[in-house]
Amino acid sequence: MKLVGLVGSNAEYSYNRMLLEFISKEFTDLFDFELLEIDQLPLFNQSDDQTQSEPVQSISRKILAADGVIIATPEHNRTIPPALKSAIEWLSYKIHPMEDKPVLVMGASYYDQGTSRSQLHLRQILESPGVGAYTFPGNEFLLGEVKDAFDNNGMIKDQKTVAFLRNLLLKFIRFVEVIASFEEVDQESLPAEDLNATGSIETTIEGIDKDAEDWVEQAAEKVEAVEGDTYVKLDRGILTVDQLNSFLNSMPMELTYADSNNQFLYYNHHKDGEDMLADRYPRQVGSPLASCHPERTYNNVEWVIQQLRSGKLDVFKIHVPTHGPNKYVVHNYAAMKDKDGNYVGINEYVLDLKPTIDWYLKQTNQELVGGPEDSVDAVSGATEKSESGDTDEVDGVSGASMSS
Amino acid sequence: MKNLIAIVGTNSDESTNRQLLKYIAKHFQEEANIELMEIRELPFFNKPDNYEVLPEIQELADKIERADGVIISTPEYDHSVPASLLNALAWLSYKTFPFVDKPVMIVGASYGTLGSSRAQPHLRQILDSPELRARTMPSSEFLLGHSLEAFDEEGNLVDPEKVSELEHIFNEFMIFIDLMKQLPTDRVGHKMSAEKFSWEKLK
Repeated sequence: MKLVGLVGSNAEYSYNRMLLEFISKEFTDLFDFELLEIDQLPLFNQSDDQTQSEPVQSISRKILAADGVIIATPEHNRTIPPALKSAIEWLSYKIHPMEDKPVLVMGASYYDQGTSRSQLHLRQILESPGVGAYTFPGNEFLLGEVKDAFDNNGMIKDQKTVAFLRNLLLKFIRFVEVIASFEEVDQESLPAEDLNATGSIETTIEGIDKDAEDWVEQAAEKVEAVEGDTYVKLDRGILTVDQLNSFLNSMPMELTYADSNNQFLYYNHHKDGEDMLADRYPRQVGSPLASCHPERTYNNVEWVIQQLRSGKLDVFKIHVPTHGPNKYVVHNYAAMKDKDGNYVGINEYVLDLKPTIDWYLKQTNQELVGGPEDSVDAVSGATEKSESGDTDEVDGVSGASMSS
Repeated sequence: MKNLIAIVGTNSDESTNRQLLKYIAKHFQEEANIELMEIRELPFFNKPDNYEVLPEIQELADKIERADGVIISTPEYDHSVPASLLNALAWLSYKTFPFVDKPVMIVGASYGTLGSSRAQPHLRQILDSPELRARTMPSSEFLLGHSLEAFDEEGNLVDPEKVSELEHIFNEFMIFIDLMKQLPTDRVGHKMSAEKFSWEKLK
């Protein structure tokens, strides 16, 4: 395993450099280790982009080639030094070598605090989307009173500290391996999705502008779609189209049908867009999925469809937390299959789970742990992916929700 | 009339934080003399030994020293304060300590929705550190999101709600400056302790 150690200081004399040098000397049995210095980098200035300069590129290449990064940060004015912040800004502006890279944060300081505050800032900085590192959670290493910590050969004197550090590094190695396998799954390439629905499938109604506001009317005329009191034979039963509509509109959820060509074909329209949990408008029906999602969400939309089409997931659920504490709105994307098990499209059903949960609790005379006031929290704690904190991301997979 | 220094928290040529401070200087010209201060030309801080305060740092320090208060407008880079602003604050807390007990108001602008909401609390913590020791106005926050669309051609804030929010916080800052004078502050002593504060000497 190859790790690099980023010296978080541009000062000539740095105990954090000493700490990383100690790691490189002491733990040769654990990994290959190379120190990276940031003192050749200029102060970041977005009006004077030097991303392509050799000092920036050199550090970037070495980080990219490494399996993981250790950053040793000093503390300056309760945060990380300008030099380290500047280096991270170069490595997150036009290039992103730390993206998905496992990172271990540590620090040494003169005082007993041992960079306790700057490490927290650094963690938050590494978390930002431009940097996108996987910072090793928990497991702090704060080397305080550093002036007395090293002997004349630059070795840490206290053997308990050395043992603690070895244990920490062993755990970090496992973390690096876990992240590597995690990323492999993520990168297993699935065929790209044609969100513009440029292809066609057997059921595609040809020759009509998919983005036309009256696509439904035009398409219905073209294929002579039945409506009203005409009977339709179903598996298993017979209903008129009117009955079918009443039936679908009475479902306690918003239903949306997108076919396997990524074309939005139907929703159970019984409310105005503004009153829906995920707004849809009559004019949107017929559109390719690309037309009913903001561009920034395409990656998320594509990912969901890929998972469903490939069969990796039968259903993908996401809680959308933008409705306030009195609703628990979940978007469900379920793969629809034909009789032979072939993927035919997505059933997106959106519903508020809160009334169901409340009803169940009342009927069974139970309360969620923490009492009724905490019920929303308690519920969200139990979901797989309850809150991204970023509504843009959440919107990213919600259905045809681009309002006018 | 109070004299304020308004620090543009970036070295970028194009900055909506600079725009915001220009607007503040103009909009409140009846209430205070507000001078914009740039941090673009400062060298890169590397904690030099045997250091005499550089003339360009001394000039900034003197201006802050003379001012009744400081407004800092910070962008947000990677969820925190830009390196160039950290750099300026590092110089202004090394062998010269103009921020000690100085009333400071934080504002910030960003292109996205959040308006530097993560950088501002970081900046508060930084200004609270022993070598800066500023009096940052508490319980106040001015976040200008979507800053590229926030100003008209004359550089005025378009949204009247934002204007009144800014007026409110600015008026509070004027009172805050006076209130801070009431504190039985030992500024000389504080400055001495900031000067004496040395990681080397702590042990």
